[in-house]
Amino acid sequence: MNKIRSVFVIGAILFLMLQILWHINGDDMSYNRLSQDYYIEKGLEETSSKNLVTAIYLDYRLFDSFFETSTLLIAVTGIAFMAIKDEDLL
Amino acid sequence: MRYSKILITISRLILPFLLMFSIYIIINGDISVGGGFQGGVIMATSYLLYYFIIGEHPFSINKMLKLDKYIFIALPVVIIISLFMRGQYFTNAFSMDFPYEVRRLFLLVLNLIIGFKVAVGFVSLFIVFLEEGNS
Repeated sequence: MNKIRSVFVIGAILFLMLQILWHINGDDMSYNRLSQDYYIEKGLEETSSKNLVTAIYLDYRLFDSFFETSTLLIAVTGIAFMAIKDEDLL
Repeated sequence: MRYSKILITISRLILPFLLMFSIYIIINGDISVGGGFQGGVIMATSYLLYYFIIGEHPFSINKMLKLDKYIFIALPVVIIISLFMRGQYFTNAFSMDFPYEVRRLFLLVLNLIIGFKVAVGFVSLFIVFLEEGNS
């Protein structure tokens, strides 16, 4: 019974992933290059950064990189909380 | 804890250059390869060399975690400046009329904040493991 359920769950997840893939790409299965062309064309004049990686993570996706730094803070705090046994250190 | 003399001498030789290299990578993050995260990790590695040289860690974990939180608060403060200067969230504080040299300052400040935050985070990670290993 458990095995049948896991197979059903995996099938449902794969079906959802295919749906999302179809939703993004449309009928043809080739990658679309819309955002790539946009970044290469307008990245310098919109963000004033010659490095496109910096242009994306500090301007287009700044909301993401803000929470990305928060994950590092949470990870370090959690490791310090779990690893140190002395009460007076924390 | 004592390490071998060769390791200590080589660490003393490399340490200032490694610190300089990390700050170079952070500052030039928007005009060449690199960025805040990479420079911060190199800075944290130079702290590990410093631990090899003197044999003990000078910062306490308490202060480092507190510093980490303060730098994390400084990040949204810099991000939200663009709301008052341009009326838009989460973008460059200077509008597109300014020259590149002025608009680059925003990326520079954000790279510095992210770099120091990553450095402090990894240093506190090192301190946690060193405390566990020595006790």
